[in-house]
Amino acid sequence: MFSPEAFIEEAVEALRKEISGKAVIAVSGGVDSTTAAVLASRALGKNLRAVYVDTGLMREGEREDVDATLRSLGVRYKVLEAADRFFGELKGIVDPEKKRKVIGNTFVHLFEEEARKVGAEWLIQGTIAPDWIESGGQLRDRIKTHHNVAGLPTSMTLEVVEPLRDLYKDEVRRVARALGVQVAERQPFPGPGLAVRVLGEVTHDRIAVVRAACAVVEEELEKASETGLMERPWQYFAVLLPVKSVGVEGDVRVYGHTIAIRAVASTDGMTASFSPIPQDVLGRMSTRITNEVRGVNRIVYDVTNKPPGTIEWE
Amino acid sequence: MDRMRVYVVDNGGQWTHREWRVLRDLGVETKIVPNETPVEDLSVDGLVLSGGAPRVGLDAAKMGRNGDYLERAPVPILGICAGHQFMALHFGGRARPAAVPEFGRTEVTVEDPGDLFIGLPRQLVVWESHNDEVTEAPSGFRTLASSDTCPVQAMQAEDRPLYGLQFHPEVEHTQFGHRIFENFLRVCKDAL
Repeated sequence: MFSPEAFIEEAVEALRKEISGKAVIAVSGGVDSTTAAVLASRALGKNLRAVYVDTGLMREGEREDVDATLRSLGVRYKVLEAADRFFGELKGIVDPEKKRKVIGNTFVHLFEEEARKVGAEWLIQGTIAPDWIESGGQLRDRIKTHHNVAGLPTSMTLEVVEPLRDLYKDEVRRVARALGVQVAERQPFPGPGLAVRVLGEVTHDRIAVVRAACAVVEEELEKASETGLMERPWQYFAVLLPVKSVGVEGDVRVYGHTIAIRAVASTDGMTASFSPIPQDVLGRMSTRITNEVRGVNRIVYDVTNKPPGTIEWE
Repeated sequence: MDRMRVYVVDNGGQWTHREWRVLRDLGVETKIVPNETPVEDLSVDGLVLSGGAPRVGLDAAKMGRNGDYLERAPVPILGICAGHQFMALHFGGRARPAAVPEFGRTEVTVEDPGDLFIGLPRQLVVWESHNDEVTEAPSGFRTLASSDTCPVQAMQAEDRPLYGLQFHPEVEHTQFGHRIFENFLRVCKDAL
């Protein structure tokens, strides 16, 4: 049986043995990277430099949340401002795999620049089992390029260390709880951020639309689960589709965007079933998104399990 | 006594590592091994042949030494998905692209509990992910379970502890998945 306490002891010891000198750790504020950061910080102390990349692809209020999380854990970190760089690299890219690779590459270039500055030779990441499983290799098919695995450039010089590699999210959460990490229960959020929730080209405008829609979905579903109307889904968000449709608003024809709402139940992300959402709650999200998010005039709910779907759309 | 040792042969499945995890959680010593591992190198009390991306009808060469294990490993073997299809073909049964593939939630009916479904209900909700299927179990095997669109969801050999499952007992969404593994481990223990 998996024991978080034993795992913590072994992981800290293994990091101490493996890493001699300085290391950079990439943190996003999510459960995986925060947990990895706490373990690495215990193992390496001052030899660890944590970096948070502001990609411009984060959700509403995310940067503030990350700041609060890392401060409360006493992890000192540096923010790399890189929104212009990410939007520049993503310009014109529509293919989901190309998107993920460009994002992975951009992340690593930033980490390498930072590592050079501090004289680090190691990069610690919060990679977990589904990341490398779905990235494929040898016999295993690639389902999607996880930015932190298959998105790494081959020219990379940093040595990668992944203390959580064999764990699934439910096990990481148990480790996080044992470490006193407050974000233990936070819903998963993909490394490439909102870029994979905008189907088609990533632009500032389209990111703004999906960010606002995601905020409504999170707010409404959290409220509904807190008041006992439904179980809190494992992951819940909005996706901006590359499909426009006809509508009528204020007696005027409109031709607007479509948002898909996705909410699933899962334990480890390897299988998932779509969440049953009460009609009233679906209705409220629909009304709020179409009224509050400019340019959106149609909402659909995704009723696909994994498999055959994946949880995110790209 | 040492713990029982049951390894997972990796045929490239998305859920190979899940099989490893369930076995670990059930307290046996386990490891994922490549499907090219020589049978002589496997000192085990049981084997699980994982599912995988290879289409057994189309690229059986990617199934490595699975045939060797079935012929020469003197321990109970559980084939899952591609492992199950390969087992059926190997012993002369039939497997081919399914008329209706199954992905995600599926209901199966257990007609004969055999060893794997002892103590479980007749109707189970299981999770699937397959394009190919076994259409006829080999002679000397009996069919234990089926679904509306797949005739052989589970099978068992009469004279040796060999088992095949089309669905995936290792994933969280499959009901009683751990119980099915426990039943397989009981067979491994009885064979010691």
